[in-house]
Amino acid sequence: MSVVDMRVRIGSLELRTPVLTASGTFGSGREYADFVALSRLGAVVTKGVSTEPWAGNDSPRIAETPSGMLNSIGLQNPGVEAFCAEDLAWLAGRDVPVIVNVVGHSTEGYVAVAERLEREDAVSALELNISCPNVDEGGMAFGTSCAAAAQVVRAVRASTSKPLIVKLSPNVTDIAEVARAVEAEGADAVSLINTLLGMAIDTRTFRPKLARGVGGLSGPAIRPVAVRMVWQVARAVGVPVIGMGGIMDAEDAAEFMLAGASAVAVGTANFVDPAATVHIIEGLERFCAQRGIARVAELTGAIRE
Amino acid sequence: MSRAPAHSPALERATVLANARVAEGVWLVALAAARTASSVAPGQFVHLRIAEGADFILRRPFSVFRAGGGRIEILYQTLGRGTRALATVGPGTEMDLIGPLGSGWKTPEGVAHALLVAGGLGVAPLGMLAERLARDGVAVTLAQGAPSAGRLLARELFEDVCRRTAYATDDGSEGACGFITTLTPELIATDRPDVIYTCGPEPMQRIVAAQAAEAGVACQVSLERLMACGVGACLSCVVSTVHGRKRACVDGPVFDAADIVWDPAEDPEVRS
Repeated sequence: MSVVDMRVRIGSLELRTPVLTASGTFGSGREYADFVALSRLGAVVTKGVSTEPWAGNDSPRIAETPSGMLNSIGLQNPGVEAFCAEDLAWLAGRDVPVIVNVVGHSTEGYVAVAERLEREDAVSALELNISCPNVDEGGMAFGTSCAAAAQVVRAVRASTSKPLIVKLSPNVTDIAEVARAVEAEGADAVSLINTLLGMAIDTRTFRPKLARGVGGLSGPAIRPVAVRMVWQVARAVGVPVIGMGGIMDAEDAAEFMLAGASAVAVGTANFVDPAATVHIIEGLERFCAQRGIARVAELTGAIRE
Repeated sequence: MSRAPAHSPALERATVLANARVAEGVWLVALAAARTASSVAPGQFVHLRIAEGADFILRRPFSVFRAGGGRIEILYQTLGRGTRALATVGPGTEMDLIGPLGSGWKTPEGVAHALLVAGGLGVAPLGMLAERLARDGVAVTLAQGAPSAGRLLARELFEDVCRRTAYATDDGSEGACGFITTLTPELIATDRPDVIYTCGPEPMQRIVAAQAAEAGVACQVSLERLMACGVGACLSCVVSTVHGRKRACVDGPVFDAADIVWDPAEDPEVRS
């Protein structure tokens, strides 16, 4: 039995640990089952799911950059029916909360996915993705305007009884303003940050390194930006904040919690170390034990200013 | 087609045993990695963490050239930052890998004669395959193309296990002058292989696939893509197929050539 109480709450969700997976980096969990005992995670946050299948963007879809990577996957997914029949059916027996990342090209698209997932008991919560920079319609377009964000959250809120987490884009002037707008429409929590819009050009060929030209930057390169935004949002809203952006180890996770996050998500680090989530959970437990912290939740907002 | 035996991948600590230049710009690294060495199938790959630290966020996928006796061998070309860094490591260096990964070469029932077609570093996933086929009594022909005689790779190994080898070089310094695809139609006609395995630059694979289709011979291709997770989660490494976009890391890297929707605009050689 652990000496540190690792449980945290995100609204009505009680999580075993504060470490989640970041959407799009962990498939539906199945892909990592050879490396991670999923039941140790706070939750599995799935790849984005839309009503109909999406083919995603052309290749190349990734590029390595200093302390990070660009991606432009484009939310490729098999659609919500196939997701429920295959991924969710598999996840349902794994003793881990499932948070489904929901994507759409339109408000109706988001609502349709939320309505379809309403009858799935295996879904613990929804994460509304209004921040993907890699699609032409929808995605980030909803997350970079307070009015658009409020409108889609209102519509989805009315169509689901499940806890609703809204994933915010860092590609805005004032992220706290967007956070307040979605809180006002009934979001139960906010998660941030999604990737930062970026670009890399191959100087041998003069071509963009990504087929789509631009993509989303992730990894340690964006961590200071993410910590700053979590800190700003945590003091602007009353709902819990899930922090992410380049978390590679337990100290990074602690940094986000000190800034005000109630839980954290691990993304790019999964590619470096497929068991990164478990290593971060173990490290966070040691981090607390070494400092006489009885409950990991005590870290949330414990920054000394 | 019979399926290659599936072994679940694992994270394995590996120690460099040797790392030497074998041709201009081409190196062979041998790693002590007992679990992978005993479980990897021909055509599978490992996802290698070349260096730790912020400069190398992504692992690099490498085909396993040969495996056995607790060690694996990887043939690689020093093309980018990762492979240049790999070329600097010496014996005793530790690194970790995820392996074995991917779906490798399949050997259809009753194959008596196989043709292997490699262009440049395309030999990288073919060493184990040639050895395995020869051991199983299959007559193997290898056709290898390279810029020049000095860039033909692993000749001893292939000449030892193959019934026949044929070479083509861009400068004519060994074998036929020109691309290997100038030799393959005749090899297909005279050898009458039951299956063709090919790896190399994508335009070359596309031509070999078309020649195989015209001759009515089954053909498998090994495709290379930029890759992040290596385990099927991130969807970075997709390949266009008649069944939609498939992941090179788990659905491939070896595909049935007839399933591939070739797009010259997506050739890495064109893109890069």
